[in-house]
Amino acid sequence: MFRALAVLRVVVLGYTVVVNVYRNNYDRPVLGWSCVAIMVVATFVLIAVYAAPERRGPALLVVDLALAVAMLLATPVAKGPWFHATIPSYWIVGALLAWAVRWGWRGGTTAAVLLGAVDLLTRSHVEQKDWGNVFLLLLGGSMVGFVCESLKAMAAERDEAQREAAAAAERARLARVVHDGVLQVLALVQRRGGELGGEAADLGRLAGEQEQVLRTLIRSQAAAPAPVGASTADLAVALGVLGARPGTEVALPAGVVPLPREVVSELVAVVRACLDNVDRHVGDGAPAWVLLEDLGDAVEVSVRDDGSGIPEGRLEAAAAQGRLGVAESIRGRVHDLGGTATLDSGSYGTEWTLRVPR
Amino acid sequence: MTDRIRVMVVDDHPMWRDAVERDLQAAGYDVVAVAATGTEAINRFRATRPQVVVLDLQIPEPSGVEVTATVLADEPSSRVLILSASGEQDDVLAAVKAGATGYIVKSASREELLAAVRRVARGDTVFTPGLAALVLGEFRRINEPETPPGEKLTDRETEILKMVAKGWEYKQIAERLVISHRTVQNHVQNTLRKLQMHNRVELTRYAIEQGLDEDEDG
Repeated sequence: MFRALAVLRVVVLGYTVVVNVYRNNYDRPVLGWSCVAIMVVATFVLIAVYAAPERRGPALLVVDLALAVAMLLATPVAKGPWFHATIPSYWIVGALLAWAVRWGWRGGTTAAVLLGAVDLLTRSHVEQKDWGNVFLLLLGGSMVGFVCESLKAMAAERDEAQREAAAAAERARLARVVHDGVLQVLALVQRRGGELGGEAADLGRLAGEQEQVLRTLIRSQAAAPAPVGASTADLAVALGVLGARPGTEVALPAGVVPLPREVVSELVAVVRACLDNVDRHVGDGAPAWVLLEDLGDAVEVSVRDDGSGIPEGRLEAAAAQGRLGVAESIRGRVHDLGGTATLDSGSYGTEWTLRVPR
Repeated sequence: MTDRIRVMVVDDHPMWRDAVERDLQAAGYDVVAVAATGTEAINRFRATRPQVVVLDLQIPEPSGVEVTATVLADEPSSRVLILSASGEQDDVLAAVKAGATGYIVKSASREELLAAVRRVARGDTVFTPGLAALVLGEFRRINEPETPPGEKLTDRETEILKMVAKGWEYKQIAERLVISHRTVQNHVQNTLRKLQMHNRVELTRYAIEQGLDEDEDG
């Protein structure tokens, strides 16, 4: 902003010098030309001093404005009380805009009021064009100040956003490195533990569970930037947690699978019920597989075990006794979500397919 | 033993590198090289030309995905088996698109690892249920009307991939669908081939777009 102002200063200086040479109507030429010389020197000194941001303090701005005021005050002395145009002419906008850039609309307006007042008070007669010029000073000072303030606020917001994004990316990178290291060790403990057997095997199993938990955590963090608001949740992350059950493999698509929060918790509860059933009928920690598919207009979750299947007639027997079996409960809960639950059972095992429309 | 399978192990964790190397050697594989970084991996691959690369994806630059693409461009007959701890889905998918034909997680047992190396060396694909679900999801994502049939899965391929994702083994799938084990294997391989094909087509399309842009500037 101050760089653009530097260019403007040179332009208005050029105009001022040309106008003064053209008019050359001083009562006291020595004083008048000294003023012009001061302005030439001051312009370049000011540009040089303003170039460094740390020097743009109140002192510099006050000096800048004081110089402009001094030039205005020198005018009646050099030109006599009946002058038309001030010596500095448009040169004073340099100081005005410096104030506007530095202190916003308040700075711009203050400088404009001061310069305008000095200009009007030094004249022995005020013409309509002088009022017009002062009005322009006020308008320019306040508007440029206002715009500068907005621009600065926007730049600050943008910088803040960029800083936050960079910090988040760095945090994510560090987390990946740390997590990867921990996962490597957990996986190794799990593997060697299993090979050694005995107590080491228990340690290995614990490591495996923790590995699963950490993996789920990483996934939920990676999914955080996705549009998952308060009313929706990620079914993939929620199902991933179920991998903590021994022998369970949860297969998920890449990315998030957003669904209403209550649908997610109900579906997870149903899948958990299916897995409990595996524990009960096939054996504690018997192998089970959970697959989630995002079909666009619906989601499909399948839960499979490789047990010996449900003996024929058992479900019917349960119904005949008036008992609401687990199977009926699963069907009912999925039905309440507007979906369907189908059961496939045979010598190859049992598989539930839960399909819920979006 | 001249027909021992030549393997390279790439992992930046010494303990894992040693463990995998030891297991492979004990099982009769010829571990011709180990590497801890992407650069080492590429250089040592060129020097030793192993048949199978057992590769951790999280290694110092260049990444495991880039290593996969580079070594397979150098020697298309080699095979890459991804052995990953964190299983970052995007990376796994990218590595498979780059040509890796196997993926197994580090928590798998030694027997599973050895079986995976053996199968990958034979030219088979090694899919975990997790990878099958990723690939399935990827095909659902790219399945649009304008996708050419050569880059889409057939119903049979989808069915088989889905069964793999639900934890069925190839042998069980063959029995259930009354087809040969080889046929199941071929279907699974086809899904990978199509995914890699789609990836190449996308890369080419991207390259052409970039090229056209340059022409406009020139």
